[in-house]
Amino acid sequence: MSRCIDDLECGSSRRWPGLDTGWLRLLAALVAVAALAVACDRGAGGGPAITVVIADYSKDHTRPFWQALAERYTKQGGPKVDLRIIDWNSIDQQVSTMIQNNQPPDVLNLNSFSSYARDGLLYPADDVLSPTTRDDFLEAFARGGQYQGKLYGLPILSSARAFFYNRDLFARAGLETPPKTWNDFVQAAKKIQALGGGVIGYALPLGPEEAQAEWAIWMWNGGGDWKTGDAWTINSEANVRTLGFLADLANRHRVTQVNPGKTNRTDGAFQLFKDGKVGMVIGFSPLAKQLDAEGKVKYGVAEMPTTLDKPVTLGVEDYLMAFKKKDNREAVKKFLDLYYQPDNITKWITAEGFLPVTKSGLERMRANSALKPYLDALPNARLAPTTDPAWDRVKLDVQQNIGLAVQPGGNSKQVLDQLQQNAVAAK
Amino acid sequence: MRGRRWEALLWLGPSLALIGGVVFYPAVALVGASLGRYSITGVYQGSVGADNYARLLQQPALPVVLVNTAVWVAVVVGITVVISLGLAQLLNEDFPGRALVRWALIVPWAASLIMTSKLFVWIYDYYFGALNALLTSLRVLPQPVDWLGEDATVMGAMIAVGVFVSLPFTTYVLLAGLASIPGDVYEAARVDGASRWATYRRLTLPLLKPALLVAVVLNAIYVFNSFPIVWTLNDRNPGFAHDTMVTYMYKIAFKSALRDVGLAAALGVVNVALILLAVLAYLRTVRWDDGDAAVSGRA
Repeated sequence: MSRCIDDLECGSSRRWPGLDTGWLRLLAALVAVAALAVACDRGAGGGPAITVVIADYSKDHTRPFWQALAERYTKQGGPKVDLRIIDWNSIDQQVSTMIQNNQPPDVLNLNSFSSYARDGLLYPADDVLSPTTRDDFLEAFARGGQYQGKLYGLPILSSARAFFYNRDLFARAGLETPPKTWNDFVQAAKKIQALGGGVIGYALPLGPEEAQAEWAIWMWNGGGDWKTGDAWTINSEANVRTLGFLADLANRHRVTQVNPGKTNRTDGAFQLFKDGKVGMVIGFSPLAKQLDAEGKVKYGVAEMPTTLDKPVTLGVEDYLMAFKKKDNREAVKKFLDLYYQPDNITKWITAEGFLPVTKSGLERMRANSALKPYLDALPNARLAPTTDPAWDRVKLDVQQNIGLAVQPGGNSKQVLDQLQQNAVAAK
Repeated sequence: MRGRRWEALLWLGPSLALIGGVVFYPAVALVGASLGRYSITGVYQGSVGADNYARLLQQPALPVVLVNTAVWVAVVVGITVVISLGLAQLLNEDFPGRALVRWALIVPWAASLIMTSKLFVWIYDYYFGALNALLTSLRVLPQPVDWLGEDATVMGAMIAVGVFVSLPFTTYVLLAGLASIPGDVYEAARVDGASRWATYRRLTLPLLKPALLVAVVLNAIYVFNSFPIVWTLNDRNPGFAHDTMVTYMYKIAFKSALRDVGLAAALGVVNVALILLAVLAYLRTVRWDDGDAAVSGRA
């Protein structure tokens, strides 16, 4: 039997029916393909390929823009780019898996950065950005990307929330202007709700998707804050009052949609507003873009009703991060400098309907009058405390729990006390 | 004979590699992860021994999630099997259009679970949903119900979807079981003057036992591990009040303040152990061997 191994005559056709020349040829071909793939991975311009992970902001614009940018980068002599566009729902999970497997990306786009900086995974901005790019960032956003005094989270784009109202429903309810104070707001919501026929005064989304954003805007306009100095003040008296106010909207005045603590933003509150069922909602520029495209709802954009002298809104800043890996600094630097060329960054931010993070971008986008309310709000916008690594946990905790306070029988103080306790303990 | 042995290994190679890569390696990696501590970013920070398991037992949400899981698995599998018994019996009869109905039954099985779940999210919707429109216009309900928002109705709404997508597989397993029962057994029963009900209870059900066992065990495993339905239908609800072990595991790892891969991996190991124990306990109580004996004895 063993003789046959040496004897091709007997081996190929009878004893080894699978191992004939065809099989061998296939194997050889596979090996060749694998070798070729490895060779390609080395990149045309030199150096190994860099991995760029970008969150999917929209199906229409995100991939086309980054794909084109990556191709230009390679054409200009950079290495090949392994571009991965990942949807928001699974990006945390996928990035965590990459890092667990010791294969972090080279460039990552996310809505948080400080935990990565704390774990020592990132280059500080000075290592990977040219000084002109660095100095172009708007001051507030550059501050929002600092960890322990150093810039790690490079602002990629921003957005600002604004107060949207349905002009038709306002007219039907006899309301002339959007409410300025919380008192006006409750009265307006009551009048709209009283129109009947399933019309809703205010759509309040405190479900897990984006509850921290909705809460932050009300919290700030109620005079509270996440932190005072370095200390968390989530359960301050002002905040307990504000959450009680929101619970009253739902359970006492009954001017919200059903179960606001269990309503998400995108498929809940926004959907209802787009359908013309809702008088007021907190939105942002991408919502305006969708409303304009559908042309179904006549809406106005205003400042938030507030208890303060000057209304506050929420600014949201997303980040690019550069991961420290062997011999990737030059390649990453080149890539970031390409993205931050004013033409490129502005082209993308405009396409996605977001707001600028650079001074040059702000100048260019001023021309667009539709963006005026958001651009005006931008300098006064407050950011979430993303510079504190604990925020990455606090945010999830707020998303998962704050909705419980506005459900029937919910206890605002108890919910905030628990959040505060967890925030203090978070590392 | 040495060549012979190599030959066998060569043939088994691909399967062994597949089992190694798809079953063995992930299992080892899971147990390994459950013994470690990970930063929120995913950076490994060293071994903690069994600490993750101890912390798992202290999680305040665990009892609720365990009860949810037991209800979810038991009720979905129970209702599915009962309905499938009827459906299989129906499809086993000869009637015009049977082929069409058999094909139609496959649809919920063939559709992606995420798509089916999203579809049901809209069917259940308080404002736009078809279910509320139907029930209020038929005056079954005086006003719409927030099926996915009310604590009392979420689990029921999820179970209905779970049953809907489990029916095809279960029905086909039982249909195959029915088809394997020889016709002469029924003839004998008729000659002996057995009533229809007695025939079903004394003949069909016992002879279906192997198929029933397969249906129950496989369904229990599928339903226990089912992520998309619970995740999609429950995504609006805060906290863990309606989670099962599988969605709870995902939330621990990525969506709650815990964000702890090690703790989630420990829960993953517990999940595997739980489902194994449940299946073994089930097989013991129904006596797998007895089923076989009954079949061969009577047939």
